[in-house]
Amino acid sequence: MAVVRDKAKLKEAILRVKREGYKPVVPEMQLGFIHNNVDCIGCRACEIACKDKNGLPPGPRFRRVQYIEGGTFPEVYAYKVNMSCNHCAEPACLPACPTGAIFKRRKDGIVDIDSTLCIGCRRCEAACPFGAPQYDPETETVKKCNMCVDEIDAGRKPYCVMACMMRVLDIGPIDQLREGTYETKARGPHDRVVRQVKGMADPELTNPSIVFVPHSKGVVE
Amino acid sequence: MTRVADPVLPGLNVSRRTLLKTAGAAGMAGLVPVARSKPAAAFAYEPYPTDDELETVVTSCAHNCGSRHMLVAHKKGDVIVRLSTDHGGYDGNPWGTDTEELPQLRACLRGRSYRARLYSPERLLYPMIRVGERGEGRFKRASWDEVLSQIAEKMVYLRNTYGPTALLDQSYAGASFGVLHKSDQIAGLLGRFLGMFGCRTSSWSVPSYQGTTFSSRITFGTIEDGNEDDAFAHSKLIIMWGWNPAYTFHGGNTFYYMRLARQRGCRFVLVDPQYTDSAAAYDAWWIPIRPNTDAAMLAAMAHYIFVNDLQDQEFIDRFCQGMDAGTMPAWAQGQENFKDYILGKYDGQPKTPEWASGICGVSAEDIRKLAHLYATTKPAALKASWAPGRNAYGEQYNRMAATLQAMTGNIGKLGGCAEGVGKAWHAEAIAYPYDQFANIWFASIKSDRWAHCVLNYPNVRREEIGLWPRQDQFDGLIPNIRGIVWQGSDWFNQLTNINKEIRAVRKLDLVVCMDSTITPSGLWADYLLPVATHFERHDVALPWYKGHYYIHRPKVIEPLGESKTDFQILTELAWRLGFGPAYNPRASRDYFRFNDAVDEAYLRSWWETRVVPHQGVDISWEEFKRRGVYKFKLPRIHVAFRDQIEKGVPFPTPSGKIEIFSTVLAQTRDWTRTQYGYPIPAIPKWIEPFEWLGDREKTRKYPFHLISPHPRWRTHSIFNNIPWLRETYEQEVTINASDAARLGIRTGDIVEVWNDRGRVVVPAYVTERCMPGVLVLFEGAWMDLDENGVDRAGNPDFLTLDEPSPAGAFAYNTVLANIRKTQLDHRPVWDKLATARSYLFRRDL
Repeated sequence: MAVVRDKAKLKEAILRVKREGYKPVVPEMQLGFIHNNVDCIGCRACEIACKDKNGLPPGPRFRRVQYIEGGTFPEVYAYKVNMSCNHCAEPACLPACPTGAIFKRRKDGIVDIDSTLCIGCRRCEAACPFGAPQYDPETETVKKCNMCVDEIDAGRKPYCVMACMMRVLDIGPIDQLREGTYETKARGPHDRVVRQVKGMADPELTNPSIVFVPHSKGVVE
Repeated sequence: MTRVADPVLPGLNVSRRTLLKTAGAAGMAGLVPVARSKPAAAFAYEPYPTDDELETVVTSCAHNCGSRHMLVAHKKGDVIVRLSTDHGGYDGNPWGTDTEELPQLRACLRGRSYRARLYSPERLLYPMIRVGERGEGRFKRASWDEVLSQIAEKMVYLRNTYGPTALLDQSYAGASFGVLHKSDQIAGLLGRFLGMFGCRTSSWSVPSYQGTTFSSRITFGTIEDGNEDDAFAHSKLIIMWGWNPAYTFHGGNTFYYMRLARQRGCRFVLVDPQYTDSAAAYDAWWIPIRPNTDAAMLAAMAHYIFVNDLQDQEFIDRFCQGMDAGTMPAWAQGQENFKDYILGKYDGQPKTPEWASGICGVSAEDIRKLAHLYATTKPAALKASWAPGRNAYGEQYNRMAATLQAMTGNIGKLGGCAEGVGKAWHAEAIAYPYDQFANIWFASIKSDRWAHCVLNYPNVRREEIGLWPRQDQFDGLIPNIRGIVWQGSDWFNQLTNINKEIRAVRKLDLVVCMDSTITPSGLWADYLLPVATHFERHDVALPWYKGHYYIHRPKVIEPLGESKTDFQILTELAWRLGFGPAYNPRASRDYFRFNDAVDEAYLRSWWETRVVPHQGVDISWEEFKRRGVYKFKLPRIHVAFRDQIEKGVPFPTPSGKIEIFSTVLAQTRDWTRTQYGYPIPAIPKWIEPFEWLGDREKTRKYPFHLISPHPRWRTHSIFNNIPWLRETYEQEVTINASDAARLGIRTGDIVEVWNDRGRVVVPAYVTERCMPGVLVLFEGAWMDLDENGVDRAGNPDFLTLDEPSPAGAFAYNTVLANIRKTQLDHRPVWDKLATARSYLFRRDL
């Protein structure tokens, strides 16, 4: 299943990265995710929809519903943190890529990988603080969530969002999601949103495009 | 663009590149090849057929869970490339429509994994005949003609030699749930087939919910005691009693309407040995309770309500029989009524919260608090789930819950709840011939007593197997079971006490398994018949449990391999046995090869003669097929028993009342001549179960109570082989952290769990979310025996008891066991690499 790579094309790409260096892309509008950590039942329909959409073998999980629990019997709590790629404003993966395969779309800020340029070196995987890029041993390339750009370009929402049985996962312009002005079922009538929850990497690292409705035990002071 | 194409198609992960190459890339040519010096611009999977470039076919999922959701196949040629689900636009509304009245029918993780199941390596593609010992799992491929000839010959021999009870019908709702291709005991294709053949022993008790079925029939006179899922959005208090909709989903959108309820200020309570994801998502007050003691706690709640005079006496006086002395029927004066039982008039033991606390482990204070909350919050839904009823005397729990629902006046009211079974809106469910030949049987037994019957025949008393009474010469005839037929059923893996089943199956002369997948049951069969999945045949899906809609299921792709539909197989066998035209009146002799026109005729007739006239549907069959889904708009939210409460329509019980004191049970004299076999009190009572934590003698050897609830990542045993789902979880035994510390067990350690009936090996999951003294092991793992008969896969039914409750409830959750660390290996069926990732993403803080 491993791919045969076009060496001439790769060489050209690597030279171009060296020649041009890293120029951050400032998108016209940045799309991002919102997830309600409390109301999510953790069913992982989003994960499976993503696996099916992207035809992934066992191993890579672009979307990961993390189960968090704590307390001492019988005073316990549990909640979910659901994350895929955060399509960061300052993605750590992008400058780590030696072939320039990773790119950020100017129109909506989606970060994607050109699979024809990926050499499977896995540097992006190491650079990302959120575990978004993942190695697919079948193709020997790194893959990650691209927010279903084909669906976005067709005017629809990504598969994970459309899969959510509880309607707690959504996308929207991240500015509006942060301000709470974007209409979405993910946020309940009295919910507020935060940029970071407990256990998550510091958002200052890459400025991820995601907000959460946090659990009271997941709030970061 | 020089990638190597996959050589094989179709495979599980159909490579998009291959697909385009083989299927022709018309319209896609612009994407290939990429210009050389162009900066990165292609997205991760180019070239890639987008949804709009593929053919879209609306269909649904089809397995035996409590829901039924829409799946939308996106296909190229005869290959399903991916699945999506409802987007709200298929029934004529704008894309994205998702309102409280017309919600989208979004599939769960199991439904979304269907492509992996359809193309799985475990898919059964050809008829097979056993060549090794039974259970050894060695088969050879055979022709349909050879297999069907052999089966027909053996069937005739068994019927003529051993009589009309020789073949046991163990069909079930596995993966064949549609209006045309149904596998089911009462309304199924196999039952009609065996009945016409003149040789059938039926299995009458429902593994999932016989306790609550009995309770609802006795108390309300019907199992249609459910509200539609949208009613849950209107409760002020929802008590989830052993109910985990975050795992079982239970209806089109039940879980989502509960979220709306919470946003509107509804409070949630969970009574359960585990702090489930439902408790977390609805922020519930968790009351941990010892398994199998629910009736005692409910009795104490009734006690609190009576002594504080918080009951709805007006409701009781109008609608109930036998709640108290004043509502006892004249003919039963002097017999026990419920209130006086609770107050201790008969046995000298008032069922106080203090009394119950010693049994159920919940503090008296919490029992009082919950009773007060329930009695004073209106409307309140006490959702008495099925799981606590899957117990010894589980029917008493369900009847006790129904009694509380009645005494608080929460029946027949929006926001209240009388569930119970919970079946609500009534679908037109049957499109195939349903006539005088439907559900004919010559003996009918409690489903989990078949092995006992086989092993002890003829020295079996009728009450031991729950023989259903008859009015003819077959009454009391102990069935001489010599063969089993499984249709859409993995019962060998799913019923209780598997080691006993293994002894019994070895004594049989014929075992036939009809399935689309090679199941653990199938490995014990003599003949494997490959059944086309619901993607490969024409049908219509109906909601299983809650929801009001039909989903069209066209033949999305041609049947894989040599698989045929259930209806084709049984029709062909019927022809060979001489009753083909009667069994399938619309079919001709070549139905085995050409079934499309006949199936279409059945379905069209069903739509035009039943759905349209009976249910006021205003679109044609052709229009329904074009849209793929029809969602009903009900005139008002469906609430069970609304007419009884608002209009005084009698309940369908002998007295026309809600029977807390049961007319039928009170008038039964000889219990051995009933299907129950053993006495059942006329009013709900706490009865000590066969095995439980309060048994000082038995707990010395087996100090843990094991429960085996339904997992989220498979439906019973279906989907256990799907790698995507296996990635999200692990078959594991849940144990409380303090118990685990005492035994030196940490998360991920391999442990063995055992009792006198069997032994299983699984990893442990140590958590504070489980109450001490309780082990949780999800049902449905595919058994995997080692040479010593130890199950390395961790199927709890090696430990369960095959002794049902008198009313027929399976005692799945009535199990004492012990646990310790082990050197034995666990075999997770699927590769460890995949499942291991679930550690990475779970449960750490």
